[in-house]
Amino acid sequence: MTWTRETLRAEIIQLLEGHTAGEVKIEESSHLVADLSLDSLGVMEIVADMEDKFDLSIPDDMLREVDTVADVVKAIELRLKNEGRLSG
Amino acid sequence: MTAVWKARTVAQAIEDAAASTKTGYRFIEESSENEPFFTHGGIERASARIGGALQALGLQKGERVALILPDNADFIFAFLGAIRAGIVPVPIYPPTGLGKLTGYLENTLHIVAKSGARVLLTSAEIKRVLGTIQAQAPELQQIVAVEGIRGSREELKPVKVELDDVCFLQFTSGSTSRPKGVVLTHANLAANVRGIVELGLAVRESVDTGVSWLPLYHDMGLIGFVIAPLYYVNTITFLPPLLFLKRPVRWLETITRHRGNVSFGPNFAYALCVKRIREQEMAGLDLSTWRVAGCGAEPIRADNLRAFAEKFAPVGFDEKAFVCSYGMAESTLAVSFSALGTGLQTDVVDGETLWKEGKAVPAPADSDGAASLVQCGSAFEGHEIAVFASDDAESARPLGDREVGELRLRGPSVTPGYFSDPDLTQEAFAGGWLRTGDLGYLAEGKVYICGRSKEVIIVNGRNYYPQDLEWEASRVSGVRKGNVIAFGTMKPHNDRERVVIVFETPALDEQEKQAVKGEVRRVVQQAMGLTVDDVVAVGAGVLPKTSSGKLQRSKARELYENGELLIRSSSRDGDRLDAAKEFAKSQINYFRHAIFRGRGG
Repeated sequence: MTWTRETLRAEIIQLLEGHTAGEVKIEESSHLVADLSLDSLGVMEIVADMEDKFDLSIPDDMLREVDTVADVVKAIELRLKNEGRLSG
Repeated sequence: MTAVWKARTVAQAIEDAAASTKTGYRFIEESSENEPFFTHGGIERASARIGGALQALGLQKGERVALILPDNADFIFAFLGAIRAGIVPVPIYPPTGLGKLTGYLENTLHIVAKSGARVLLTSAEIKRVLGTIQAQAPELQQIVAVEGIRGSREELKPVKVELDDVCFLQFTSGSTSRPKGVVLTHANLAANVRGIVELGLAVRESVDTGVSWLPLYHDMGLIGFVIAPLYYVNTITFLPPLLFLKRPVRWLETITRHRGNVSFGPNFAYALCVKRIREQEMAGLDLSTWRVAGCGAEPIRADNLRAFAEKFAPVGFDEKAFVCSYGMAESTLAVSFSALGTGLQTDVVDGETLWKEGKAVPAPADSDGAASLVQCGSAFEGHEIAVFASDDAESARPLGDREVGELRLRGPSVTPGYFSDPDLTQEAFAGGWLRTGDLGYLAEGKVYICGRSKEVIIVNGRNYYPQDLEWEASRVSGVRKGNVIAFGTMKPHNDRERVVIVFETPALDEQEKQAVKGEVRRVVQQAMGLTVDDVVAVGAGVLPKTSSGKLQRSKARELYENGELLIRSSSRDGDRLDAAKEFAKSQINYFRHAIFRGRGG
């Protein structure tokens, strides 16, 4: 499946919303730990879901690079782009 | 089973196991289908190479080497290599990501400095963020990347290693503020391994196989699945801990594929499987070979284990496989196991008398206020567990059956003390008995744990265990599960103990927060009959936790008493900047060293 930046962003936010039970408004600037209340177990669960959704493998060291929702979008975008699965 | 047990050093056990060509350690990697397998002979050779390389770095018998190695195989070879060279390894957990780098570096520096390690062995990637440590730990001479010594051709020079020599230092991450270095001798390890493998689990030599995703810088993974299997020459399959956290089903798939007989996890691991493994993932599972499903390292909740047994019974899980254990780093690893083949056993007692009078009086399961405690078995042969009043400084008068007090231990698994810390060591013992700090009781020789004695909240002469309050509070919607701390404080008036519950919440506006706080009060009041004096809502990441994620109640109390809890922002804030700063500092230090080395020739 091919993604555009917009569909990707919307999909990631939707996925995160599923894990926070709609209690918080998620924006690109939201911090995963501070704003979305994710702990390490919650983050690993989301990583697994994203791997399934985007058919990607997300290495552990990526976790050291992400802080906000925008960082997550960027990291996934880059990986999809490398595989030629990002259009636009 | 071996006919007669003879205590051997870990170094000797590695050499003895090397003769086996069929057994060994298998390493599952997330990113590859390959599962590299090293026979015990291969492990002997790989560890000799690293041991030789450490000797070539100038390390002598008895000196310390700190290990921060996220890769399981690297860690095991370096750990065993050091031990064979008589060098004392000091395992330290690797950085986990998601910020918190400043706290990580502080902790690491503390351990490195306290242990007096001369060399720190790590990966090239982690080495980059550790530069500042070298400048601050006076005895640390070099930080070495493991990539540079993996292919070393240095031969291991023979070193005489004896049972009373120190084998390694195990830094604990308890609920106290600073990690303490527990000294373990080869004799401690040999005694505890015997308790675990032979007496506790009746492991079949060279036959039983194990599966473990447990981190190797923690006693359960390291002693239970790296050291113990050397003595009984068992095959172990290791998974990376993060892989388990990401996909819990991989743990059970590995048990299925490699027909695992023995595997352990803390309470949360079983709960995670219940929560995260989907129906369609269960199709290929077969857990019928799983003979020992051990549970320990944190308080055991009977409900969690029952839910696991129910969910996985259709794929062959036998609830009688549960072995509930009690243990602590100061007693090497294990103190007691529930009897094999009995499964989860609980003692239902009257909560009111337990808390108010410190007596565990049996009660019908359906009675009001009944408390259900998990049985953790009895002491290993040659070891003793007894209960004393917390203020019995000489361990003069053991309490009777079903009387709650501090559990104390004696026997060959008990550490000689904390490394270079005579004061802490003295505090840890009372009349020759190790003070565990855990509250519990014995009933017919079996151990039941109620909580940590220093954390018990006493209101009107009645004891409350913070775990119970936290458990109730976690059930309120809007409270982050596992992120609640309850404690008692004499502040501000020093007249009586006030009960405080602090929880993390995603709620943003004041009104929502008030609603959640009110609900927490109500729930605790209803369940425990206890009026909470203060309920505090904080943002995510604010509550203090140890490296392994345990809540730090004493620290939280301290922050609360100093008025710092509410002004404390998430410990994540600013970590980006910190990482950049640490990196810059490490670069500066690197150049400084390069320059000095150049000048000194």
